[in-house]
Order: sequence, then structure tokens, then C-alpha cells
Amino acid sequence: MRAMTRKKLIRQSMIYILVGLLLIFVLFPFGWMVSIALKTPEEQFRIPPTLIPSHFTLQNFLTLSQHPLFIYYLLNSILIASTTTLLVVFVTIFCAYSFSRLKFPGRRSLLSIIILTQLFPLAAIIVPIYIIMSRVGLINTYFSLIIAYLSFTVPISVWLLRGFIQGIPPELEEAAMVDGCGRLQAFIKIILPLSRPGIAATAAYIFFVSWQEFMFALTFITDDYKRTLTVGILDFVGQYTTDWGSLMAASVCVCLPVFVLFLILQKQLITGLTKGALKA
Amino acid sequence: MPTLVLLGIIVFYPLIHTFYLSFFDTSLVLPKPEFIGLQEYGKIIKSKILWIVIKNSFIWTVIVVIFQFIIGLASAILLNQKFKGRALARAIVILPWITPGVIVAMIWRLMYHPQLGLLNRFLFDLGLIKNYVAWLGYPNTALYAVIISAIWKGFPFSTIMYLAALQTVPQELYEAANLDGANRWRSFFHITIPQTMPVIRVTLLLTSILTFNYFELIYVMTKGGPGKSSHIFPTYIYQIAFGQFRFGPASRYAVISFLLLLIFSLIYIGELNKRKVFE
Repeated sequence: MRAMTRKKLIRQSMIYILVGLLLIFVLFPFGWMVSIALKTPEEQFRIPPTLIPSHFTLQNFLTLSQHPLFIYYLLNSILIASTTTLLVVFVTIFCAYSFSRLKFPGRRSLLSIIILTQLFPLAAIIVPIYIIMSRVGLINTYFSLIIAYLSFTVPISVWLLRGFIQGIPPELEEAAMVDGCGRLQAFIKIILPLSRPGIAATAAYIFFVSWQEFMFALTFITDDYKRTLTVGILDFVGQYTTDWGSLMAASVCVCLPVFVLFLILQKQLITGLTKGALKA
Repeated sequence: MPTLVLLGIIVFYPLIHTFYLSFFDTSLVLPKPEFIGLQEYGKIIKSKILWIVIKNSFIWTVIVVIFQFIIGLASAILLNQKFKGRALARAIVILPWITPGVIVAMIWRLMYHPQLGLLNRFLFDLGLIKNYVAWLGYPNTALYAVIISAIWKGFPFSTIMYLAALQTVPQELYEAANLDGANRWRSFFHITIPQTMPVIRVTLLLTSILTFNYFELIYVMTKGGPGKSSHIFPTYIYQIAFGQFRFGPASRYAVISFLLLLIFSLIYIGELNKRKVFE
């Protein structure tokens, strides 16, 4: 009996040690980011570098707030990511509904084609999208980015929402339809409220990927003040010297909103993402 | 069905257009694209750079995918155990995956910085190196340095998948194995692996595709340099398309990259289907 508890104790401490190591592996780079963001400019360039700042200062964040364009970058990112999110959820929810409820021929293969589009390298389609955008005069507009983002957010959104809607028992709608609701009405009254957690998770995912997007944002936007955060933070990278303090302070600002959003919605998000793969 | 029309316009049309463009010679000095057919493909296949890019793409994808698999599965098993603060630990482990690639790239660029980076300091203190090394500045180390950051950034995706898969394994199987006197390793190889195999297969395919197409890390950390030593397909295509504005050649590389990925995916999926038939 005592041998058992001892074995259990060893096992339990092993788990804590391993979890600790895993967390260090994950958190170390973030800690380094925060540490640089809080260092004084002199200490940033001290050789050898220190892990923990000897002086904590918010100076870098102050510099950042005085950067003439940073606030634009932030607002642009928020605007583009949220517009994309709203648009995509609105467009794809009906599509996801028909894939999970209506039995039409070729449903499965159509769904596979939608998923297949995720295999396309964005680098392979960016040139034609760029050419089209410049032909219709959309280059250097928020629109060009939002449209481009549809290419990689629409398929995943259909996939996620379909999974959530499938989890709702069809009997509920059938009952509503027997009571005289039309299909659309049943959809609005039953499906929409019940799939709210799923919609939230999908929206969060779309927001994440639009927020992080870099390649299109780098290519399609030419005016400084129209840039998004991911491209904008490269302002601090000079040809010869880089303002690491401000850069890392900016990085903290870019990460924080998505981290908070993630912590709130992680449960639904993870369920939604893994559902499809588990069924396959 | 408006969604499908939309997808057709923004995904399929551009892809076809890429194929179309690849038969033309376009550049800034040549305002009217000139039809040249397949001859340029021949030239590319004979060129040295294509093979460098293929080799790099291969090394990049294989190493990143293998390590993401190992770390992903190991961390999933760990996070599936019972311990205090498990929910928090699970949430923290996902963070690298939702961090924007550009920021991951900048953090690691600073980590590898020859004078200001921590890596050199640690290795120096441990006596492993005698001089500070510019890890991203040498053709021999640049690609591998970015690979490490790519593993760090992407492994949580595998963790999420495997963790979900582990939760579907019926606990009775382990209890039965335990009664039969099987130890942990035996349970792992005879229960955990076979039970999670379907998810492992799908995840390996997904991570391979995502990694092969991943652009930001290499672009921000090395720009494919020094020289062309760390270019993979997406960065090289981008470099030709928007660094030099030569859309023709860029499209040819894009087509080659697309076909390589397609062939790989078809073979892989074919293998999966074949197995299922025999199962």
C-alpha cells in the first residue's frame, strides 16, 4: 500500500515537472518580449543581454503612444478584422445550414471542394488577385484586404459552423415547422439562438486569422496610414538599427486583444476546430 | 449557394489565372504579356534555384511536421493527465498558435540576434560556443533557426487535435489492459496510438500543407537569405512577384509548388483510402 502511494507521488511530481518544462518552453519567448518592452533603451543594447530588466519602465509604451501612425494601424486592424468577421459569418451561416440540413445531390463532394481550397497556397493566388484588384482600382483600399481575406476564411467558417449546426437535433426545427413556422423562420428562431456559442467561436477564429494576416496586408496597401498592425510594426525595424523596445511594446499591444478573446472563447473554439477532424 | 460563387471568384478563378499567367512572359518593361508556352518551364527545371527551393521546402516541411507531431502528441498526453491548474495550462500552451506570425518572427529574430540575443548568451555561458554567432546570417544555420521558431509557433495546433483525440479513447480499454498487467508503454503503443491514428493521419496532412505554404516566418526573419539559402516556395514566389514584379516567372513557380503539393496530398489521401479498404 505504501509503495503504491509513493509511486503515485513520484508520478504526480513527474507530471508537475514536465508541465513546468512545457510551460517554460511556451512562455519563455513571451517573457522575453515583455522583458524587452519594459527595459530602458540603454539596457536593451547592453551586452551581454539580461533576461530580467534591472529597471522597469513604461517608456517604450509612451514612445509607442506618440508614434504618429500606430493608432491608425490599430484602428485599421480592428476595422478590417471585424468587418471580415461579420461579413463571413453572415454569408456562410446559410451555406453551413444547407450543408448540414438540406439533402441535395453532390453535397459531400461540394463540401470536400470547399475544404480543398484550403490546400491552395496563398502565394499561388496572390498575383492574380493583385492584378484583378489593380484593374478594378481597389488596390490600397480596406476593401481589397477584406475581399482577399474571404479566400481563406470562408471555407473554414463553413466547416466550423456546419459542425455546430449538426450538433443541434433536427427534431427541434421539425417541431417548429409542424407548428407552422417556415424553414427560414425555424432557422431564425431555433438554429440561430442555439448555435450562438458556435457562431461566437467561429467569429473568434475568423477574427484571429484576419488579425494575424500579413502577406496580403503587406502587398495591397501602399499608404502608410492605411496599414494594419502586422505590417505597421515593421516601422520599428530600420535598415541598420531596430528599436527593439518599441517593437516589443507594440507586439504586446498586438497580442493582448487576441489573447483575451481567446481565453474567453477557448472552449467553444477548440471543440469546433476538433469536431470535424474527429469525425473524419 | 452565393457562398460557392464567391469562393469560385476569389479562389478558383485566381488559381486558373495563375496557370494562364504562367504561359506568358510579363514584366514591367514588357507591358504586353507575350505568349511563350511551356518553354520557360523547361528553363526553370534546368535551373539550379528551383532545386534549392525544392530542397529547402522539403527540409522545412519534414522537420517542422515531425517535431510538431512529437511535441504535440507528448504535450497532449501530458495535458490529458489530472493535475491542478490543468485548464490554465491548456490555455497557455495554445498561445503561440494564436500569436501573429510577424510577432513570433520578431521575438525569435531578437532571440537569435548575434549581440542582443539570449541564445548566444546562454550557449556562451554554457561553454558551447566560443564566439557569438549570427544564426540567421549564415547559409548553414538560417533555415534551421527559422525551423525552430516555426515548430514553436505551430505545435499547439497538433496539441489541440491530439488532446481532443485522446479524450475520445474509452477509459475501459486502459483499465482492461491494466488488469492484464500491461505497463504504460505497452498501453501507449497498443491502445493510445491505434485509437488516435485517424486523427494523427489527418493532422499530419494538415500540418504538412500548412507548413509547406507558410510564408511569414521566413519572410520576416531571413527574407529567404542569406543569398537564397533559406527560400521556400511561398517566399520565393513572393520575392519574384513583388520584389521584382515578374509575374510570369512567379506564376510558374506557383504552379510547380501547387502541383507538388497536390501530388503529395493525392498520394497521401490515396494511401489512407487504401488502408481503410484493407482494415
